[in-house]
Amino acid sequence: MAFFTGFESFIGVNFWTCLFTLCNLIILTVVMKKLLFKPVKKMIDSRQQEIDDMYASANESKESARQLRAEYEGKLAQTEAESEKILRESYRKAQLREEEILRQAQDKAAQTLKRADEQTQMAKKRAMNEIKDEVSVMAVDIAAAVLARDIQAGEHTQMIDSFIKHLGEQDD
Amino acid sequence: MNVSITGPRILMEIDVFGYFRISITQTVLASFAVMITLCILSWRLGKNLQKRPGRRQVLVEKGVSMIYNLVSDTMGSHNMRFAPYIGALFLSSLLGSLISTTGIFRSPTADLSTTVTWALMTTGLVWYHNMKNNGFLGWLKGFAQPVAVMTPINIVSEIAQPISMSFRHFGNIAGGSVLTALVYGGLASLSSLLLGWIPNALISSIPILQVGVPAFLSMYFDLFSGGVQALVFVLLTMVYVGAACPPPQENELPAGSTPAA
Repeated sequence: MAFFTGFESFIGVNFWTCLFTLCNLIILTVVMKKLLFKPVKKMIDSRQQEIDDMYASANESKESARQLRAEYEGKLAQTEAESEKILRESYRKAQLREEEILRQAQDKAAQTLKRADEQTQMAKKRAMNEIKDEVSVMAVDIAAAVLARDIQAGEHTQMIDSFIKHLGEQDD
Repeated sequence: MNVSITGPRILMEIDVFGYFRISITQTVLASFAVMITLCILSWRLGKNLQKRPGRRQVLVEKGVSMIYNLVSDTMGSHNMRFAPYIGALFLSSLLGSLISTTGIFRSPTADLSTTVTWALMTTGLVWYHNMKNNGFLGWLKGFAQPVAVMTPINIVSEIAQPISMSFRHFGNIAGGSVLTALVYGGLASLSSLLLGWIPNALISSIPILQVGVPAFLSMYFDLFSGGVQALVFVLLTMVYVGAACPPPQENELPAGSTPAA
């Protein structure tokens, strides 16, 4: 063994140096692969995977939310149409009912009017009959009075006057 | 001005049973230092990873995924298994070039042994995968493509490939250190010229110009060149090995078709 025995030539190849360099390079490659490249690559890949998964799930939920929204919007539109239909229907019904009520009221009014008319007519007839009866009674009375006595001119006047007087008293 | 340019200092020589002599050089020491540093860093940064990362983990993940993206862009997504090797090679090269700035170590990448080993590793990977994909004979046949006349050229380019890769990396880093040494020497001479009129020998020998000026040089040769060479080396490795490992379904790339460097 000897130390500091001199210098290598400037341009030259030493077999042992080559061997050491080769060993160093191989050791370094193995160490870097095991300790640096593989773990870092694994970490980057797993993170990438995680991000991809997150994006995929986010897209999925976005898609489902979009679907739900479309569904609900469809339902809403349907409901709106339905409610409008119901409204229109009930409006129509109400209108019909209104007309019917109106017609009924008119009928009733007409009926009432007719009945009142009839009653009036009847009352009139009755009154006429009564008057007729009274007149006939009166005529009978007068005829009786005439027939009962020989009527003198002076007496006639007196008698008629008293009859009318009598009539008026009777009327009261 | 005296500037001595040498290879790495031999720190220790061990005789093994008198048969061969193992020499431990500065390169080996620095290479170990780089390896240990990176191993500890990997261990520290790779543990306690959380789903919700802290600031440190974000940076670590950024770096790791940068290497993964580089590998996937250059070699195809079916070759992701090379990412740790590419990362180790890149960081070894980068830190190996930068470690000289500590002043304690000599850059392992400024030693041809290191870069030759790495380049041969690339060639070995290319050949191994070519043979695995096409069979040994298929690999040999690949040299005769697209026409048989190309065989010598293909063989030369196959041999030139590791040589060019290793010398490019080595030359850039070692050349930078040589240039830095030359500039240091030159600056020492210049400052002694500048301060030579001072009678006091102690003051006149202060290499005043060496303060600060070489920092800019170091910025280029160590930081920039180190980074660029690490990237270039790793890119070439990825291109060559990636061409040898085509996607599983289309197995049509010929073995010798790797572009010449």
